[in-house]
This record gives sequence, structure tokens and C-alpha cells, in this order.
Amino acid sequence: MARTQVQDINQSLYDFVMPEVGAERYADGLTPDIVRAISKKKHEPAWMLEMRLQALELYQSMEMAPNWGASIEGLNMDHISTYVAPNAKRTNSWDDVPDEIKETFERLGIPEAERETLAGVGAQYDSEIVYHNMRESVADQGVIYTTIEDALTDPELEPIVHKYFGKLLPMIEHKFSALHYAVWSGSSFVYVPAGVTLPFPLQSYFRLNAQGAGQFEHTLIIVEEGGNLHFIEGCSAPKYNVANLHAGAVEIFVGDGAHMRYSTIENWSKNMFNLNTKRSTVGKDAHMEWVSGSFGSHVSYLYPSTILAGDNSDCEFTGITFAGATQDLDTGCKVTMNGKNTNASINTKSISKDGGINTFRSSVIIGPHAENARASVSCQSLMLDDMSRSDTIPAMDVRCASASVGHEATIGRISDDTVFYLMSRGCSEGEARTMVVNGFANPISKELPMEYAVEMNNLIKLEMEGAIG
Amino acid sequence: MADTMKLSHINTPPAQTWNYLHINDVSFDVPVAEEHGAAFNRLPRIFDGIECGLGDEACGWIVASSAEARYIEVPAHTRRDEPIVIDIVAENGTVADTGVCVREGAEATIVVAVSATLARDALSAALTRVLVERNAVLHVVEIVAAGGAYRHIEGLGIDAAAGARVDVSQYFLGGARVAAGMAANLAGDGATFELACRYLVGAGELLDINHVVRARGRDTREDMIVSGMLSDGASKTLRETIDLIHGAKGSQGNEAETVLLAGENIRNKTLPVILCDEDDVAGNHGATIGAISPEQLAYLSDRGLGPDEAAALFMRSIFDDALIHAPEPVSAAAVALRAETVLGAEVSRDSLETLDIDFFKEV
Repeated sequence: MARTQVQDINQSLYDFVMPEVGAERYADGLTPDIVRAISKKKHEPAWMLEMRLQALELYQSMEMAPNWGASIEGLNMDHISTYVAPNAKRTNSWDDVPDEIKETFERLGIPEAERETLAGVGAQYDSEIVYHNMRESVADQGVIYTTIEDALTDPELEPIVHKYFGKLLPMIEHKFSALHYAVWSGSSFVYVPAGVTLPFPLQSYFRLNAQGAGQFEHTLIIVEEGGNLHFIEGCSAPKYNVANLHAGAVEIFVGDGAHMRYSTIENWSKNMFNLNTKRSTVGKDAHMEWVSGSFGSHVSYLYPSTILAGDNSDCEFTGITFAGATQDLDTGCKVTMNGKNTNASINTKSISKDGGINTFRSSVIIGPHAENARASVSCQSLMLDDMSRSDTIPAMDVRCASASVGHEATIGRISDDTVFYLMSRGCSEGEARTMVVNGFANPISKELPMEYAVEMNNLIKLEMEGAIG
Repeated sequence: MADTMKLSHINTPPAQTWNYLHINDVSFDVPVAEEHGAAFNRLPRIFDGIECGLGDEACGWIVASSAEARYIEVPAHTRRDEPIVIDIVAENGTVADTGVCVREGAEATIVVAVSATLARDALSAALTRVLVERNAVLHVVEIVAAGGAYRHIEGLGIDAAAGARVDVSQYFLGGARVAAGMAANLAGDGATFELACRYLVGAGELLDINHVVRARGRDTREDMIVSGMLSDGASKTLRETIDLIHGAKGSQGNEAETVLLAGENIRNKTLPVILCDEDDVAGNHGATIGAISPEQLAYLSDRGLGPDEAAALFMRSIFDDALIHAPEPVSAAAVALRAETVLGAEVSRDSLETLDIDFFKEV
């Protein structure tokens, strides 16, 4: 079948720059003074500063594993500012948000989504949260949705933060988790009391506007026994010619019998190094669900991790990754099953196009006491041209004889017969291929909230523009 | 006592994953290699470029440690009926370095048989590198049946030209610590590769496998089926890589593994990798890891077999399969000897009689 040149992608919906008027920007690079300055600005307790400095020391002493996948050679911390604060105070009214920042979030559809479908919203712009609000009816049930910075100054919440912060994701996890703990800024702190179900999701949206900067937000979620929460994370940035860095961290504690769903649509710009770390621990009879769409970034290392600690707990991971030109996305997930009768289901899809590189990487560990644990891993990859690449690297480590693991992976292309069939029924070649890709992604997009499913379909459409491959 | 050294990175797969999983390689303590062979005992230099799955470190050690290299050539358009046998007696600490060239249109069978009669701690190794020319046919049977405290390093490298057909049968039936690397380079268009690997890992044993198949030519076909059983205290790692290299249009690769977990304190690690740098290809992987299902147990129970007897039945099936595929007396003897230790003399004898292994009667 004849092929035509693939065109550039239209990302104008996300790729717009606002001026950094009055922003406070710390010097590029990483020094103890910068770390101290961040901590001082946030009026943190001494233990947090101590933790930051310890993390900095660790970061500087740790090496990256030489045998890892995508290269991060283009990332030079000496040219990254770890803290850029917009000229705005945190508020719970969009009217008080500076115009250019408000316009950014309006263009991204956040206030509208808040009015229609969300129980609360946090909006981070560069290194600081600029807007935070939650419906009164939700707050009345005892739900706390605030920033860690604010929680640290609240005598009632500070001990909770101290108890949980950094406990699930230790700073020693890897070099960039150490970096995160040294310079984290901007955050979400969610506490769902026992037995409380939120009728609508909470959402945090992260926008990195500054050039050559890093974003290091920390999300800490605690869902007590029998609670139920859907949390949505969205992120985007305009494209620059220099590297930007995102090294956030997410820690989720899911109590016994609780239910947690964490949805992410990641659409960072293609100069972004997205080295994010996420982990949840799941109690007895509890359920954890990750839904993940990765479309942006130059390089991604992203593997949400779940520890099924309690008996009869289960988790699902549903993810889609779309790698286009200049992208090398190393994504996947990790599950550690320690409880008895635990269940894990992993279902991922990836699409590679225009020379994009996708790597699906997973690990399923079934511990020696995880009797009757069940895990299934399914990974499907679609190649849209012969310039792209797709690798699958799933690891399984089973230490319990009564466990059962099933795994399947397939890599292939859209068959010419399918395209021909659709074209014979009136579709153009581009429409036919977009239709097949949408169908391929549909099992994932239907797991997303409606507006995100629409956004994902739009993203696929944007990515497929001109992709008559 | 000879000085020892550590081979730290044996069986490293082409694409690696988290180091904390300890799945990226395996290590072996080995005696420091003594230079045995003179230059004329080395294989032709063309064999140096053949990848064997074990990695350069282990291959280099085997080449340096073997007393002499053995080179066999199968002339073009001939069929060699007598298998090329590489007989490794584990207690002798044999280290074999063999090169085979199967010329255009020829057909040959290679047998590597590792056996042990005494219960001793020893280390043996076999490295077999094969050039399979255009339209040639190669059959390989590898049987590692040492058991006891024996350690063995097994390497197989195959370079297949256009239209070449290769099938490999591997049986890993015992050994305290066994590392097996195998790499096939399907360089020519239309080359095919089939692998059937079966294993039985017993108490306290470690089996570490690395299979790599690289599809370079167009319209190649690679199928790998691995199945096995782990009993009490067994550890097994399987890495399987299908590498669909840019330009290998029309190629298809399939890999499948079935693992039966039949004991306590087992450790089963699997890393099934598909690397795909081409769009007009298909790569598939499937794995099933688990115990004997309750349905299977109920079925067997109805016929008077308890769980232990059911496990023994699965175990025997692996030995029977190895006996059926052992093409000559040395390999059949290695299997039978090991079956006698694992299944008992009576069951082993019954297998031989049932399968009517003729040539074994002559041994």
C-alpha cells in the first residue's frame, strides 16, 4: 500500500505559553542553599528540612543504573530551575487567580469540569498550587483536600503528614525520588475518613509553564477503611527547545475494604523528561485501580506500583501509551502481591508512530505467603510505521506454589486488509487508520471519566493527523 | 586447589529490567582458565561472531578452558545420518568447545548430552556454535541430566542463512546449578527456527535459561515453546527474547511458556521479551504459571491418583518425552540414568519398555 510523509502534530490545545510576569525563579542547578530556601519559603517544620537535605545528599551520591532503557542524556540538572513560583497567592476562587493563569486553566477546561463533574480541584502552576477548592458537601463529610504545605502548618494535620509522608515511597527508591524529596513543591493532600464515599472525583491539574524548569509535586492520599475515592491527575506543558523535568511522587494508602481509583492523563510537552514515581499500598478486602493515558513527554519513566498487602485485596492497571516523533516512553507498572487470595489484572496498550519508541515494562512479584494469588498481564502494541519501535519487557517472579499467573503480549501492525475493507466502504485511508486506532484504544478510554475519554480520543485524533502510514 | 573467579554476568538478555529483581543475569564461580590449546586447536575465527546467549564473559571462559576445540563440517548437499555427539561426563569436569558448519543444502543432527554417574561436586561446560548455510537443515538435541551437586554451563549459538531450517530440543533434567544460553541469528530470508524446551527443577536446584532469537532476514519464522515443572525448593529463571530487527519484514515470532509449580519454597522467574523495530511483523508471547488445577486433580483423583502421584505423572512425562527425542544411545543413557535417580528404577525401566527404546538396550 502506498505511504505518504507523516506530518507534524497539532498540539495547539496544550502548546501555548504565558509570560512569566513577576514569577520568582530560583537559580538553575541544585545546592543545599536552594533546598533551604524552598523549605524556608514554605515555613516547614524542622523534620521536613532535614529530610530534604538528606535527600539532596542521597541524590548527589546515587548513580543511575547503566543498563536502563531510554536515555536521559539531554537532562542536565545544572540547567534546570527547581523552583519557579508564579506571582499568585493560593486561593479558592477563580476570580482571584491572575488573568493569564486563569486563562491557561480555562483553555484546559478545568473550571468548567469543576462546575460540572468534580467534587474538588487543585490547580498547580509551575511550582505552586494557585487554586484549591472543594465542595462544601464533601468537606462536611470530613474529607480533607488541601495541600501538604497547608497541612504542615495545621497542628491537627501535621502529625498525619509526618506519619505518612515519604513512608511508602522512600527517597532511596532511585536517584530521581531522592531529587524529588530534596526539592518537592506543590502538592495534594487527601484524607477520606472511614466509610465515606465521594460522589464525584477530585482532580489535581499540573501545568508547567516555565522554560527550563522542574515540577516536583507530591500527592499524598489516605483512604480510610471502607472509603471510596476517585482521584484524577492531569498534566500538560508548552513545548520549549530546552529540557524540562517532571519528577513528582504519589503515595496512596488504601485502608481495609476501601476503594481507590487513580486516573491520569499525561500530556506533557515533547521536551519534558517525565520521571515520575507512584505507589499504593492496599489493605484487606480493598481495591486499587490505576487508569493511565500517556501521550506526552520526550522521555518517560513511569511505572505505578501497587502493594497488595491485605488478604483478598485486588488491583487493576489499565494503561495506554502513544509515542510519536522524538518520544521514548518507558512505561508500565509493578505489582507486589503479599496477601492471600489477592488478584491483579494488568491491561495495557501502546501505539508507536513517526519513529516513536514505546517500552512496556512490568513486574509481578508473588510473595511466598500469597496463597491463591491470581495475576493476569495483557500487553498489546500497535506499530503504525517502520520507523517506530515497540518493546515489551514483562518480568514475573512467583514464590508461592498455589499462585497462578497468566501473561500474553502481542505486537503487530494494522493489516492492509482492514484498511482496504474500510476504504471500500467510503473511508479515506487516514480515517480508516484513525478508526482502527480508536477501536484499539477504546477498552482503555471507556475506563476514563467521560470528559477525559473525549480528551483522549481528541489526542489520538491529533496524533493521527497526517499519519497515512 | 585451583584458583577461582566469578563470572558475574552470565545469560544477560538483550533488554534488561529492574536490577532489584535479580533477573538480569546469573553468576558462577569457576576455576581460573588455564590456557590449554595451541592456536591450531582453536575454531576458525568466523565462529567468534556467533552469539550464544551466555554472554562474552562465559563464552570466553569456556573457549579458554577447553582442552581443545572440535570443528566438524558437513559437506554441501549431503545428509549426515550419524549425529554429532558432544558427550559431557559431568564428574570429569569436561569443558567442550565445538564448531559445526552445515554447508549449503546439507542436513545434520547435533547431540549434547550431559550426564553423571557419581555424586560429586564438579563443573562442566559445553559451547556449541553452528553455522547453518543456505537451505541447510539442522537438528539439535541438548540433554542436561547431571543432578546431584553438579554445575553446568551450556551454550548454543546458531547462525542461519537464507532458507535454513533449525529445530532445537532442550531437556534440563537436573543439576545443582545450570546456566543455559541459546541464541539463534536468523540472518537469511525465510530462515525458520523452532525450539522445544522442557525442564524439571528439583529440590535445591537452580536452572537459569536465556533464549535469544534475532530475526534479521525477511519472512523468518521463530517458534519457541518452553514448559517445565518446579518441585520443592527449586529455582528457575527463564529469559526469552524475540528480537525483530529493522528490515525483518514479514517475520513472525511466537514464544510460550507453561510452568507447573509443584512444591513449597519454589522460585520461578520469567522474563519474556519482544523487541520490535519493524512494523510488518508479528510477535506474540503467552505464559501460564500455576499449580495443577483442581479440575485436573479431580479428574486424576477419579482414576485413583492422588496429588503426589499426579505430580509424578507430570514428571515422568518429561523424561518420556526426552527419551523419545534422544536420537542415539549416549543421550538416551543420560536420560535413563537420571530418570532412575528421580523416578526410581522400576518406573525408569517401565518407561524404556513402554517406549521400546531399541538402541538403549545395546548400551
